[in-house]
Order: sequence, then structure tokens, then C-alpha cells
Amino acid sequence: MKRLLISCLALAAAALSAGAARAETTLEKIARTGTLTIGTRTGSPPFAYVDKQNQWVGFSIDLVEKFIVPALSKKVGKPVKVEKKESTPATRIPLLTSNAVDVIAETMTDTKERRESVDFSLTFFYTGAQFLVKKGSPITGIDTVAGKRVAAQQGATNARILREKVPTVQLREFPDQPAAFQALAQGQVQAYTNDGIQLAGLKAKAPNPNDWAIVGAFYSNEPYGMAMRKNEPDFRNLVNQGLAEAIESGKYFELYEKYFGPKGEVPYPLTSEAKRLLQAAAAEFRKTPGGALGSPGK
Amino acid sequence: MNYRFDWSVLWSGQSGAWLLHGVLTTLAMSALAWLLALFLGILAGALRTAPLAPLRALATGYVEFFRNVPLLVWMFFWYFAAPPLLAENLRDWLFDHGAEFWAGTMALGVYHGARFSEMIRAGIQSIPKTQFEAALSTGLSTGQVYRLVVLPIALRLIIPPLTNESLNLLKNSSVALTIGVAELTFQTRQIETYTAKAFEALTAGTLIYLVLCLTIAAVMARVERRFAIPGMIARVGGAER
Repeated sequence: MKRLLISCLALAAAALSAGAARAETTLEKIARTGTLTIGTRTGSPPFAYVDKQNQWVGFSIDLVEKFIVPALSKKVGKPVKVEKKESTPATRIPLLTSNAVDVIAETMTDTKERRESVDFSLTFFYTGAQFLVKKGSPITGIDTVAGKRVAAQQGATNARILREKVPTVQLREFPDQPAAFQALAQGQVQAYTNDGIQLAGLKAKAPNPNDWAIVGAFYSNEPYGMAMRKNEPDFRNLVNQGLAEAIESGKYFELYEKYFGPKGEVPYPLTSEAKRLLQAAAAEFRKTPGGALGSPGK
Repeated sequence: MNYRFDWSVLWSGQSGAWLLHGVLTTLAMSALAWLLALFLGILAGALRTAPLAPLRALATGYVEFFRNVPLLVWMFFWYFAAPPLLAENLRDWLFDHGAEFWAGTMALGVYHGARFSEMIRAGIQSIPKTQFEAALSTGLSTGQVYRLVVLPIALRLIIPPLTNESLNLLKNSSVALTIGVAELTFQTRQIETYTAKAFEALTAGTLIYLVLCLTIAAVMARVERRFAIPGMIARVGGAER
């Protein structure tokens, strides 16, 4: 009994001292386990979704697996496999800060506020807020929504921007896309605002896509970045290296065409401006490795 | 742990105003829903003990239906399914004038009314039959017996479970965020989104609910002591002074 007690105490002491030691960095963890854990949202095609073979696939997952993983494997000197976990707007930052995942690869906008809690990669997708309306609606963009009832998604940054730009707008915020769309379909609201790419996805999935129209120019910038824990420049550099490689080799644009092209899951043409920004960021990263980050929209 | 706590996000910028607005909305909605629930609860609870079978059936139907439908579904019903039955002009007017608040309040009140009624029925049925007969024998009508004798005693008996259920009602008002009511939980999530400070925002929300609930519980405990029927309820601890 006494021996048992002593060994228990010794074990506790060992555990405590291990806890007190310097926490393992993400790169060290990947080198030890050979696993990169990503948080992604499978309900956001074509960024991430579950295919017919029950595999998690999509644009952001391809970017990680085809470009970031090779960069990591080369660095740690052994093959790295990807483990995927479901993340949501509410859980993604806690998932990162609690070490449950290493990278968030989903439709997460890079903002100044979020940069206080996490670091972002180079921007890997450019979009901005627009409006989804019933075809033939008098709403044609941000100039026409004053006094109108507009749905937004709780947690979307564009709701705040819309309220700042058009103080008289009647915002109604819903917890998820289906509820907001339902409200639009039934007349509770007259328009639904979200990132253009999200609206394009919603329209593509709607029973009658031609009944709906996406209107207005982008009234906000929503650059999507991959989020990581703060102050891990080596790891962030490897992620950025993968993304820069994808853009410079042109393979990024092939992937884009595959997922967002006319025959893709959600048609969403790449603008020349987005292309220019992506290439400029990759070039900037090449010039100052270690320094370059994405570009927070606000 | 490399998380940096920053409690100032709770009052800097718009956060403070949002929180205050959220608390007021939660309180307004809960208070209105509570009144509705109490009215429906007393009505249905009394009807369930009524001598006429159709009245009992009506009340039982109401209670069984709402006790067994999730509040969320019921809230969606009021917001998404009920309005299309209205004329378009009226509907547009409603949606321009806080329809989501009223839909949420109705859903919450009707749902908890069913739950209140079960407690009220239990309270009424715990009153000895002889007491009812004694009151009738003094010349009161059945209606008067209910109003003047049975309900006053029953309502006193049900204060503790009623407190419990009232607190549930207050907390359940957070379900209204699904139909876009800007109540307390909605506002804490909004702060969380805009500041990326989940821990701080959720802690603030939790503490506010805790303070509200403890305050209500304290008030109800006072009410219970104030209206206690001497000699009727077994006293525990030092409540009787």
C-alpha cells in the first residue's frame, strides 16, 4: 500500500514537472506524431464537404493536402498525414487555442480582431459581402437597402459593416444559413447578406436556383485565411510556403477552376483583381519569408 | 496556455450597449412570457380539475401537446409557419415592427403555460376534498370556492416549483436567438464574434444569467415566507422566525 502511494506521488510529480516544462510547438508535435490536425467545416461546399465515398474533400482540404502537407513533410523528414475535425464559427478559435487542431482551413475571414487571438496565413480566397434576393426585387445593392429588412448570419462580419454603412437598415440575424434563407423565402426579410461565395453556394443548392439573384458589388472585403495559434512563425512560414507554391505554380488556379469553375460544385468566377492580389501576396512572401501575412480586410 | 485575457472588450466599443440591450430584451421577453404562462397555466390547471369532461379534455390536449413539443420547434412555428397565414400587408407591418420578439414571447409563454399548469394542477389536487366541501357548505358557489379558497392555497403551495419553472423560462428565452431576437445570449455571441474573445463574452453572459436567476430566486423565497400558511407547511431549517 505504501509503495503504491509512493509510486502514485512520483507519477504525479512527474506529470506536474512535465506540465511545467515548455509547451511543445506545433511543428514539434507534427514531427513527433506525423499528423497535422485541421479544423474544417464539411457543410460549406466546395471548400469542404463529404463526397459519395464518405471522404472529406474540397478546395481548402486540397490546398492543405496537396501543398501544405508536402512542405511540412519535407521539413520534419517524414510523411505527414492529415486528420480532419469538424469546426464551426463558434468553435474554431477555441479548437485552436486548446490545441485540439493545428490549422483552421475553412471560410474564415482574416480580421484585425481575430488576429489578437490567432495568426493567419496568406489569404487563400477573396470574396466580399453581397445580397441574395428574389429575382425582380427592387434591391440591387447596398444603396437600395435603407429601411429594408435584411437577414444576416450571426457571427458574420458583414452584418456590422452593413449597419455602419446603412444605419437605417433593419438587420435580422439568424444562427445559420437555412434559417436566414427560410426567412428570405417567406418574406420575413427582403434580402439576405453574406459573402458572395456563400450566397453562390446557397443559390446553387436551392430547389429553383433561377428564382434567386445575387446583387450588388462587394461592400466589404472578406479575405479567407487559414488560422493558426499565435507566435509560431516557423509553422506559419511552412503553411505560407505551401500556399505560395500553389499560387506560383498555377496549380491554385487549376484547383479554383475545378471547384468554382462553370462546371464546379458552386460556380464563382475568379476576378482578375483577386488573381492579382493572390499573386502579389505570394511574391511578397517570397521576398520576405517569415514576414508576410495575409491582408486583413478591416 | 498562451491565451491573453482582455476583459475590457466587454465595455469598450459597442459591447456594453449590446449587453445592456440584451439584458433588457431578455427581461422584457421573460416577464411578458411569464405573465402569459401564468394566465394559461392557471386556466388550464383549473380546467383539468373541472367537473365537465370536455373542458378537462381541452386542457389536457393543450398540456400534452406543448409539454411534448421541443421549444425550438414551437418557436420556429410561430416565426416561420404562422405568419404566411396572415394577409401580406399585415405580415409586412409585423415584420417591420418586431415580429420576432412577439413570436418568441408567444412561443415561450404558451410552452411554459403548459408546464405551469401541471404544477398548478398538482397544487390544486393536493388540497383535501373536505376543504372544498367545507367551503361549499358555507354557501359559496363552485366558482367562488375555486377563486376564494382553492386557488389561493394552491398558489401558495406551488411557489417552490413555480420558482424553478420561472428560472427555466428565463433561461429558455435564449432559444429565441434562433429566430433572430437580440437577447442576452445573442449579444454575448455577437461580442464574441466581433472581438474573438469567446471566454470573456461567455463568462459575462453566464454571470448575468446567474445574477438574474439568483435575484428571482431570492425574491421568490421572500414571497414564499411572506405568504406561508401557518401550520400548513412543514418548516425546514430556520425559515420560521
